[in-house]
Amino acid sequence: MTTDALDDHRPSRSAPSRGFARGFGVHAVMVLLSFVSIFPIYWMIVTSLRPENEIFSTALWPSDPTFDNYLFVVTRVPMLQMLFNTTIVSAATALLQVTTGMFAAYALVRWRLRLSSVVHGLIALSWLVPFQVTMIPNYVLASRLGLLDTLTGLVVPNAAHAFAILLLYHAMRAFPTEVLEAARLDGARSFRILWQVVTPNMGAPIASLSIIAFISAWNEYFWPLLLSRKPENSVVQIGLQMFMTQEGNLWGPLMAAAALASLPILLIYLVLQRHVIESFMKSGIR
Amino acid sequence: MTDIQAEVAGPATAKMASMQSEMTRGQFTIAPWLYLAPALILLMVWTYIPLAETFRLSFYQWNMLPTSPQRFVGLTNYQRLLALPEMRNALWNTLYYTIGLFPMSVIIPLFVAIWTQDLGGRARTIYRAMIFVPMIIAPVVAAILWRWLLNEDQGFVTLALEGLGLGRIGFLTDPLYALPTLTWITGWKLIGFSTLLFSAANAGINPSYIEAARIDGASRWRIIRDIRLPLLSPTILLLSMMTVLFGAQWSFAYINVLTNGGPLKSTTNIFYLLWEYGFQTLSAGWSSAAGMIAFAGFAVLAAICMWLTKRFAFYDN
Repeated sequence: MTTDALDDHRPSRSAPSRGFARGFGVHAVMVLLSFVSIFPIYWMIVTSLRPENEIFSTALWPSDPTFDNYLFVVTRVPMLQMLFNTTIVSAATALLQVTTGMFAAYALVRWRLRLSSVVHGLIALSWLVPFQVTMIPNYVLASRLGLLDTLTGLVVPNAAHAFAILLLYHAMRAFPTEVLEAARLDGARSFRILWQVVTPNMGAPIASLSIIAFISAWNEYFWPLLLSRKPENSVVQIGLQMFMTQEGNLWGPLMAAAALASLPILLIYLVLQRHVIESFMKSGIR
Repeated sequence: MTDIQAEVAGPATAKMASMQSEMTRGQFTIAPWLYLAPALILLMVWTYIPLAETFRLSFYQWNMLPTSPQRFVGLTNYQRLLALPEMRNALWNTLYYTIGLFPMSVIIPLFVAIWTQDLGGRARTIYRAMIFVPMIIAPVVAAILWRWLLNEDQGFVTLALEGLGLGRIGFLTDPLYALPTLTWITGWKLIGFSTLLFSAANAGINPSYIEAARIDGASRWRIIRDIRLPLLSPTILLLSMMTVLFGAQWSFAYINVLTNGGPLKSTTNIFYLLWEYGFQTLSAGWSSAAGMIAFAGFAVLAAICMWLTKRFAFYDN
């Protein structure tokens, strides 16, 4: 999945008979799909800007846009604290996944271990274990380690991930062999080679991995749901729940909170759009 | 392989040669394990040991309180579970989610990718950027957005349907509609991703094949059937495999936020059921047994998928 493949357009050669009607049909389908994708997000932002008496309006833009809902959200619950926590947790998770992944990938590429197929298998298979299956022992362990209701507890179980190791492994294996041969000959200085030779040349895969790990950690919901007690020790995805009540939802604030929880990710996406799409395509889904 | 490398790289100096042999002849060296340790220890502590522990707990009765004893009950948990209509219902719904996702995770994206192959660069880039957005939105946010759009009193979709004279539909409150609705929301997040993956694979097909077929007088549909689909088969298999293995897991967040498995258990799937047993009714044994059943089932499916991929994926080398 290279950049070329993404951008490759050879329109006319592969389409001799593209009449107006066909072109129109294709655009109609794509416009419809884009609308279905974007409209819910647009509607979230519009609703979050509506004054209270207009919440149920179906007008496409509020007559009198206001930030009251946002103000409500950040004053009623520790939303800013939660946003800060989420940022810390996501950044730490990404950093640790890159670090543990780099070390593990380097070991697998540099040394031909007898057990390397076993190690590979263990790493890859861990991806297939659904979190829900291991949640009870994980919860018990976190509670024994005193990690309940801490940010550390939110990070640690995700500090290494099969996907991170395998992505870096494949990228590193495609690395010029002379460099790794040199590394192999120079046993004593392997750490320096990893740090000064390999790492600087792994910019693209490390960036991909960081983006995906950050976004995944930002969107994580169930582990925080299990682990966190107090809102101020939790993350923004949990904060959303506070505007959903039995009696009914506070739609305006709920949409404002949802927008706040999505804004950083949407910004990352807008700025790094191409890279984000590419990284996800390289990765499959997490 | 290691021996050949040792021979090629080896004979420079005696010291180097001994270092080589130390590293390549399979004697134990500590260094690689030091590098692997952080990752392996974390995977052990947070995935494999908990998996073994879940297996152990599935034979016990325990209410998750640290002070209360764990009582060994053998296979009773499994027997009870398999006899429960709730469990059968959950397994059935799991199948529904998985199969229901296919149109959105594989079929529609596949044909959209083929049909939009001819679009110009700018338009295609914009469409791609837009249909990808749901993919990066958090599941909880997606759940909340759809809850708002579909809400029974004043939701945009409800009002729109009413405007069209279709009456109100209890998307999340009517057992008949709740399961399709949750499947739709799960799929909504996937369409863009699958479309992109297919588009990239489709653009990567060597145009000379299609040119040659066209010169031979092949129709458009025949080109799709005999050239594009076989060459897209690895991507089709990959996305099908991901749908089968992860589809039910993806719907979990929506069940939790939107319906709590209801109405009348109509949206519960196996992952949600074991969550309920674990953290709602605090029966760790049942939850663990349900977890092991799910894990074993998906492990078998994974093995079948791998075999199918090896057997049927067609690679253009």
